[in-house]
Amino acid sequence: MDGKLDDEQEMIVQTVRRFADRDLRGWGAEADRSGAAPDRLTAAASELGFFLDAVPASADGLLEGDYAHVTRALRGYELGRGCAALAALLETNVEPALAVGAWGTSAAKQQVFGALASGGLATFGHDSRGALEVTESGGELRITGKVGPLPALGVASHLVLAVRDALVVISLDGVRREAIVPSGWRAAKWGIAHLDGQRVPAELVLARDAAAVTEVLSWARVSLAARAAGVATAALDHAEAYARERVQFGHPIGQFEALIRLRDDAMTSAIAARVFALHAAWAIDARRPEAADLASRARVLAGDAVAKATVDAVQIYGGYGFVTDFPVEKLMRDARAFEALHGDERLGRILAAKGAK
Amino acid sequence: MDIFHDNPLFSGVRQMLGAFAKQQMRPIAMKHDTEESMPWDLMRSAQALGMTQSAMQDGRKKLTGVEDDPDPKKPRTMARLGVAASEELAWGCAGIALALGGSGLAASPVSRMGNDEQKAEFKKLLSGNDEHGRIRVAAMALSEPGTGSDISGLKTSARRDGDHHWIIRGSKQWITNGQSASVFVVWAQTEPDAGRAGVRGFIVGRGTPGLVPGKKETKLGIRASETAQVHFEDVRVHGDMMLGVGGESAGLADTKKMLDSTRPMVGAQATGIARAAYEFLLDRVRGGSLHGTPMASHQHIMFELADMAMEIHAARLMAHKAAWMADHHIENVMESSMAKAYGARVAQAVTNRAMVLLGEEALEPGHPVEKWYRDAKIYDIFEGTGQIQRRIIAKQLTGQNPT
Repeated sequence: MDGKLDDEQEMIVQTVRRFADRDLRGWGAEADRSGAAPDRLTAAASELGFFLDAVPASADGLLEGDYAHVTRALRGYELGRGCAALAALLETNVEPALAVGAWGTSAAKQQVFGALASGGLATFGHDSRGALEVTESGGELRITGKVGPLPALGVASHLVLAVRDALVVISLDGVRREAIVPSGWRAAKWGIAHLDGQRVPAELVLARDAAAVTEVLSWARVSLAARAAGVATAALDHAEAYARERVQFGHPIGQFEALIRLRDDAMTSAIAARVFALHAAWAIDARRPEAADLASRARVLAGDAVAKATVDAVQIYGGYGFVTDFPVEKLMRDARAFEALHGDERLGRILAAKGAK
Repeated sequence: MDIFHDNPLFSGVRQMLGAFAKQQMRPIAMKHDTEESMPWDLMRSAQALGMTQSAMQDGRKKLTGVEDDPDPKKPRTMARLGVAASEELAWGCAGIALALGGSGLAASPVSRMGNDEQKAEFKKLLSGNDEHGRIRVAAMALSEPGTGSDISGLKTSARRDGDHHWIIRGSKQWITNGQSASVFVVWAQTEPDAGRAGVRGFIVGRGTPGLVPGKKETKLGIRASETAQVHFEDVRVHGDMMLGVGGESAGLADTKKMLDSTRPMVGAQATGIARAAYEFLLDRVRGGSLHGTPMASHQHIMFELADMAMEIHAARLMAHKAAWMADHHIENVMESSMAKAYGARVAQAVTNRAMVLLGEEALEPGHPVEKWYRDAKIYDIFEGTGQIQRRIIAKQLTGQNPT
């Protein structure tokens, strides 16, 4: 395993890195202030192949053959370096599209791929605490309870929901929803949906199989981990540049051992998080049996890494880190969703180890 | 050492301010966080109750019903009352607590170093309402854009103008109440090559020509407390308003002493934030379930809560011990720094873990634990960063400053 990228991966990484550096960073700061993604995001991102990259070419998407999670992780890391909120929007269709592609009935495919091909967004959610009520009759499910907060749920046309051992598509038309702007990923078009005996017809039940639920969660976990590593890296890059410039007690503060150590430890975690995410992605692509376990562990590491890196970056900036004129306080707010989405990863692992569903 | 739980004075203050925090601060905390606005109405009623630090001189008796023995050899209670009050108020909302205490930052050097005339002037400048009909507030203007942790490198200068006046020039950064203050205590270098020894504080009224409040900062946390730049563009001040002339107290050395006395309170505030997050989580856990099992039956969750309870307990004792030393006239430089640094660590750690354990819920807009997570971070930065506190502690250990 030499870690060398193939030509296509290299091209994607270079392109997305340029997009992240040139556009996403600037757009992200403004999007954070306003709590809304810029209008030009959709056009620019579509040109780069986002939104439809996991929709089969036969359904007017861009996917031919197998989806490559390594490529997605490489790309996600670069997006995370740009802006976590916009990255979440750019990645939101992947899990729904892949899940529908893998397990969907022709009706589900027609409905979801049709919506995505015409510019719609979908999102993925997981009832990690078993809080939703589910009843079943004749292959049809009825679901009651609160879903979210989830990115893109404020505007999405479809939700792919993992609940118990079921993976279902919910058409959000007519579902009571709140669009919200939380403290982190502010521009990610978040929403909360209130399901009230929501009917899921048999044709929109993708799977009744814990393995399917785990597989979709693995995709999501690796993507979150890769993006988290990107956010962590961005925070530490900012902190390094600042520590070189800022002089206190007659020295650039980057020369103080305590701050070297602070940043160095965080960087070790950020690098480990990126490498682990890529390794877990490789395991998914290679259909390795340990892929799901690696994906979950990768997110544990990445969640810790991004929380630490962003807090430490603010610390290195000192008083300037605490004000919105400088980039790192946004990153500290943005860090939280990487750990929270789809449930506390450590808790999930503990419950799994104990055999709880 | 007294066991403060059993002391009716301290537990009385905790009870009273805890109730105030719950009834008056909590209901408006999120609004002022979202709007980034000062809680002017509450500041007025707190002032009337003698609860702002600017009213501490004559308000202490109102607050506690007792006065400290003026005999300087006898133990006092002020520092311990300060940490008890700080924890309770920050439990309500750290941003609002800082807004209530912001004037006290400026009042403290005046009461320590000021003569009667200066105290009277300061009090006069704070009396009545300002042009917006709000209570008047004061600002301590020390930090500068290039002078955060290293306060010895102040660029703001004061030069003589005739026999009786000084001209102050420079810019100040991260100034609490910087935009709204009616009176400023500004620190400036009076002798270009004198270093810390040349730094003096001046009382300057808001309307003084050349005093220009600058940009108000938008911040990660403590958003109910106003932070702004303040510019001094050749501000002419009478020499009578220079603090510490002729007395024993002068300049920055005394300011550093003052910081020794406030650090335990800052640590106690951080502890208050940690306690708020811990109590919120505990409350959730008591009623909550996970896949049909009670949350409280899970070690994963309960051991975290046990850790939090332990850390909060330790942080509280450290602040109390440092304050007890101050009250007993025992030098507490190291213990003050320990209380402050440890409080900050606990506030950050507890709010971080509470967010993780709450999961997606804590992402909802206006979630209090997310706010406390943002509020906690400043406690490792202001009033001496965590690194500065360790520098102070380390110097106490070996007598030298590590780099």
